[in-house]
Amino acid sequence: MMKKKKSNTIMGMAFFGPALVLLTIFLFIPMILTLVFSFTDYFALSPNLTHFVGFENYGKLFKDELFLQSFFNTVKFVLIILPCQGLGALGLALLINKVTHCKKYFKVAFFVPVVMSLAVVSTLWMQIYSPEGILNTILGNLGINAQPFIHSASQALPSIALMSVWQGVGYQMIIFLGGLQAINPALYEAAEMDHASSWQKFKDITLPELKPLCVFVFITVTIGAFRMIVQPMVMTGGGPSHSTYTMVYNIYETGTVNWEIGIASTMAIVFAIFVMILTVIQSILTRDKEDKHVNKKAKNG
Amino acid sequence: MLTKKQKTANWILVIILLIASLFFLFPVIWMLANSFKGDAAITADMNTIKAFIPPALSGNFFDNYITILTDTKFLKYMVNTLFYAAILIVLGIIVNGLAGYALAKIKFPFRERWVLIILLLQIVPMETILTIHFLMIAKVGLLNTVIGYILPMIVNPFNIFLFRQVFISLPDDVYEAAQLDFCGPLKYFFTMVLPMSKTVVATVSVFTFLNVWNDYLWPSLVFTSSDLLTAQIGLNSITSNDNTTMGQTLAVITLITIPVIIIYSLFSKQIVEGVTSTGSKEG
Repeated sequence: MMKKKKSNTIMGMAFFGPALVLLTIFLFIPMILTLVFSFTDYFALSPNLTHFVGFENYGKLFKDELFLQSFFNTVKFVLIILPCQGLGALGLALLINKVTHCKKYFKVAFFVPVVMSLAVVSTLWMQIYSPEGILNTILGNLGINAQPFIHSASQALPSIALMSVWQGVGYQMIIFLGGLQAINPALYEAAEMDHASSWQKFKDITLPELKPLCVFVFITVTIGAFRMIVQPMVMTGGGPSHSTYTMVYNIYETGTVNWEIGIASTMAIVFAIFVMILTVIQSILTRDKEDKHVNKKAKNG
Repeated sequence: MLTKKQKTANWILVIILLIASLFFLFPVIWMLANSFKGDAAITADMNTIKAFIPPALSGNFFDNYITILTDTKFLKYMVNTLFYAAILIVLGIIVNGLAGYALAKIKFPFRERWVLIILLLQIVPMETILTIHFLMIAKVGLLNTVIGYILPMIVNPFNIFLFRQVFISLPDDVYEAAQLDFCGPLKYFFTMVLPMSKTVVATVSVFTFLNVWNDYLWPSLVFTSSDLLTAQIGLNSITSNDNTTMGQTLAVITLITIPVIIIYSLFSKQIVEGVTSTGSKEG
């Protein structure tokens, strides 16, 4: 018996070992270093001059105009992307779930942009949004003046946000379609017996049944929008006048271009806290729902 | 049974969705149609419906594509990326698969605690530690090397957990029988466990491929030499070159998307199941 236990320990560590070594080097140590560096003025080009500065970086950050701008830009991205992508995906899924023909075509058609990479979509839409591009030509034919889109400080952020919605909406649509198909048809049959209207069926059956999925989708879309960097990097370089400069872009440039590891780590910690809060909210909201389900079942049983 | 009124409503809905899908896809249709044109033709067609129709088949139909494949290093970048993806798929399955198996079947000390840690690691956004990865790889002199690019990408808490969830339901008696045949644990893992779990191996491979193929941030940091670039980074260096025409730009982004479309059409079932199961599992 003892021997078996010992051999299990050896075998377990042998199997888990390679992953553990890599996890330590590339996840645990970087996480600890990020936290430690966030309290220092570590500048990678003169590492010997590093001091421990306590919470100074955190205080500085909330007075740093560029950081605040990158933070509010990120919030703006979330505020545009979340309703458009979340509700858009739900709407598409509800419509596609209803039609009897071409269902497969619709699923593929709205999923196509998901397949394309961020860099490809950004490169394509740079052409679409260009001053003499196809979108302005179409608008011109409709009698609308040419718009500067990504070349103006006021339009660049919404333009990139809408492009991002275009690219992502098909993914959440597929998730919602999966959820709709999982709803027990007996619920609708019972409602039909009671002569419920379509709106009542939607309000009293579809929406409550989809609620946990909605929470999941809305939080993942929010986190996704929070992590925005590649699109502005490729399309605008964060401009014009930092109007599309996001939090992650700021971390990236401060750390890997300016080599200011200390302050970049502070930004990364602030960013990580936001993302983790969102993740925790999601798990609380969805777990709550499951518990209720279990309680109900327990009572009924 | 649908009433006549419902049938009409259904057809109206189909037509509305068809028109909506065409509007939705207009950038993609425009990209495909114009990737076969010279810049003069693209500009000339812009104002008419011809903007969305490919040119007539002629001798120079594929000119943009031929230029991209012969005059630039793009083909090399695509081969590079395929090579990186292949290495990462193999190493990823071995490292994450072995770890997932240990967490599922081998009773070693603190196992449950490790499972919890792996689960918690999934909520850490990778962007947070990107700077440190870059710093580490730079310090050990591995910038601009394949090893420096690959090392941080092998281990993946999400894949470890995925493997664990699948391996946990494997029957235990097969392992005991295999042990009687003097089958070592490592041999057992590669000749029995992995072949019994083809679905999860396929899922992890597909997602690793898509991740490597579409990744932008990490390769843009590691690679500076033009010989090692991945396709996405190469795309940027080609399209930002002033000599590249608009038609050629559209041809590159079409080319780069083709492998992904092939993967999606071959594995659409696994991918859609993966997508919907992430939703239902956590939702």
